[in-house]
Amino acid sequence: MKTMRFVVPLAAGCLALAACGGGDDGDTTDAGPDAASWHEEIEGSPLEVGVLSAEGTPGLAILQELADGLEADYDGTEVTLTFANTDARPGIEQRWRSGDPLDVDYGMFDGTNPALTVWADDGALLDLRPYLEQNDPETGAPWLDRFSPTVREFMENPSDGGIYGVPSELSLHVLFYNAGLFTELGIEPPRTWDDLLAANTALKAAGVDPIAVTGLFEPYMGMWSDHLWLRTVGYDTARAVLTGGEGHITDDPGFLEGLEMLQQLRDDDAFLTGFEGTDFTAAQAQFFQGDAGMILMGTWLVSEMADVIPADFELGVVPFPTVEGGAGDQGAVMAALQEISVAAESENIPLALEWARRLTSVETQTRRAQEIGEVSAVVGVPSPPGIPGIDQVVAEADSLEPRDYGITTSPANEVVYPEIARLLFGEQDAQQTLERVDEGLRRVHGN
Amino acid sequence: MHRSAQRRIIIPFLLPALLLLGVFFLYPLVRTVDISFTEWTRTGSYSYVGVENYTRVVDDPGYLNALKNAFLFTLVGGCMLFPVAIAIAWALNQRVHGERFFRFVVFAPVVLSAAVVALMWKFVYHPTLGLINPALEGLGLGALARTWLGDASTALPAVAFVTVWHGIGIWVVLLSAGFERLPPDVLEAGRIDGAGEWRLFRSVMLPMLRDLFRILVVLWIVQSMQAFAFVFIMTGGGPFGSTDIVGTLMYRVAFERSEFGYAAAMGVVLVVIMLIVAQIVNKVMKRDELQY
Repeated sequence: MKTMRFVVPLAAGCLALAACGGGDDGDTTDAGPDAASWHEEIEGSPLEVGVLSAEGTPGLAILQELADGLEADYDGTEVTLTFANTDARPGIEQRWRSGDPLDVDYGMFDGTNPALTVWADDGALLDLRPYLEQNDPETGAPWLDRFSPTVREFMENPSDGGIYGVPSELSLHVLFYNAGLFTELGIEPPRTWDDLLAANTALKAAGVDPIAVTGLFEPYMGMWSDHLWLRTVGYDTARAVLTGGEGHITDDPGFLEGLEMLQQLRDDDAFLTGFEGTDFTAAQAQFFQGDAGMILMGTWLVSEMADVIPADFELGVVPFPTVEGGAGDQGAVMAALQEISVAAESENIPLALEWARRLTSVETQTRRAQEIGEVSAVVGVPSPPGIPGIDQVVAEADSLEPRDYGITTSPANEVVYPEIARLLFGEQDAQQTLERVDEGLRRVHGN
Repeated sequence: MHRSAQRRIIIPFLLPALLLLGVFFLYPLVRTVDISFTEWTRTGSYSYVGVENYTRVVDDPGYLNALKNAFLFTLVGGCMLFPVAIAIAWALNQRVHGERFFRFVVFAPVVLSAAVVALMWKFVYHPTLGLINPALEGLGLGALARTWLGDASTALPAVAFVTVWHGIGIWVVLLSAGFERLPPDVLEAGRIDGAGEWRLFRSVMLPMLRDLFRILVVLWIVQSMQAFAFVFIMTGGGPFGSTDIVGTLMYRVAFERSEFGYAAAMGVVLVVIMLIVAQIVNKVMKRDELQY
């Protein structure tokens, strides 16, 4: 009874607090400045900007210089660069949910991924279209014209046509190869699947593991099945089945074909020795140390591994090999667009827009390409010299398709990539993988 | 009169503790239960869905797998922890030369952050560049080399080992305190009766420490069932879910898929299971108090 005297009021208090907590109705105001005159409304104030570059990296140094410039140009401006990448995202998103968003942030919008259009749909993001359609005072052309038309679908919200993100960098998924080693061994860069198999054979004969891959991060193993299905099934069909819950993976023979090709690589011992227990950082480092001849990765690889790339390392890139007779998209390249969005609740939207404008300027993007090897989605920016051949990849791409079909942000994540890992680890064959993925997809999609 | 005066004094003393308990334990607990009956959008809007999340949990093979792994982690880790911790605590209780140094060595990993330890061991376990496989090969035991974190049969024990390595110092300290509290006259009587140190340890010390073991086992179960950091950093739950435990699954469900209600339901179910298991262990290991 005595205990109850304490516990009951305490529990009642907690319940009251719980009842008051959360309950955000999601209402936000989209009251940006006048599109025609927003430049004149810029005033100095604190500005919090999300950044993807970690402390001490050259990428952050460039952004810090950009911040210094903004502070110098507008009295009272104080820019805070907040790390907003990878493991910091849950905390950052929680800030958005609790009504304390960053003024400018990454990862809040992707028009090609339904899981990432919800912030825009709920009014948390500023529609940038009116501002992008105005002429830029420096170039005299609309700000929107800066961006390559191929990335427009990533920027636009299909539900209302608004633009809620502008790209600060473009990550293309390509097959990196050790060009020096390939030249030495007389191997042609693998443009087709047969080329890839031939390269495997030649590399193994030379005592080099053909392909670096990590076994400790399933989505990176899944990059292989993603790309094979792009070639054997096609983006739209694969996406519909894998994350859209439309149809079944057994309906299209291309899925099995892709898995069988992956099994062929596994059976040919194409992957890095001990890849099963190798972390992705180590796998990437081993590629640059010459332990493996190729690695399938995003173009961020070069800037991410800048510190471990030997000075004399010759890098080459090609799009993922085409599959002869494949029913999918042979000319498509998978990509991820790193977009920045402006919070509708930002207290200084003009200053936030100015940050976005400066970050996406040809000048800043060129610096980033040349100094840290970032590929840009801004027209007129040269390809990064650290990734020879990337300009050809971009030029030859029929289309850019969003990476991973949205798997990692959907319940399919618990189903698809673990089974791909089982296939690569030799736990099951292609047919068994297909059956297990089918069973899992039917469960998570309820179809 | 005296009692009511006593009560008036007690309440101000209890209030700070009750406040902390309410804010940092009861409120989160009640709020988690509240959230578990809701469905959330990524942007933070929610609606009540009754017990739907709980029915999903029961049918979710991913959750059942995580629960199974959590139990395995607890069992395997416990088997690695207690015999070694008891042995070390007993040895440190023998007034050996350099005892302070050994205490420091055993306790040192505790002060390292879990992230640092996890990353360090990730490289130690690396199949070709790490320390273990080359050492095994150097000793002519190459057949024992594994991919450790990449092998579904060794990944969970490997992570459990690191968890134990990191935290064993705390358990040794707790056990050492238990050994030190043993009445010297009882031990002395045993020695006079001709019992060797092993016999003394097995037949006198262990039975007398039984209550302490019971508490420590319950503590280990509670701690290990909630493990997160080492699994998250070292394997992310892989390969193919073989190290996925409830903490890592909840994290993915909540923060990658934004299903906060479902993740909360997973947490509540885990709390209930832990309470039941702790109660059972408590009951099974309880015995009549020893009088000495």
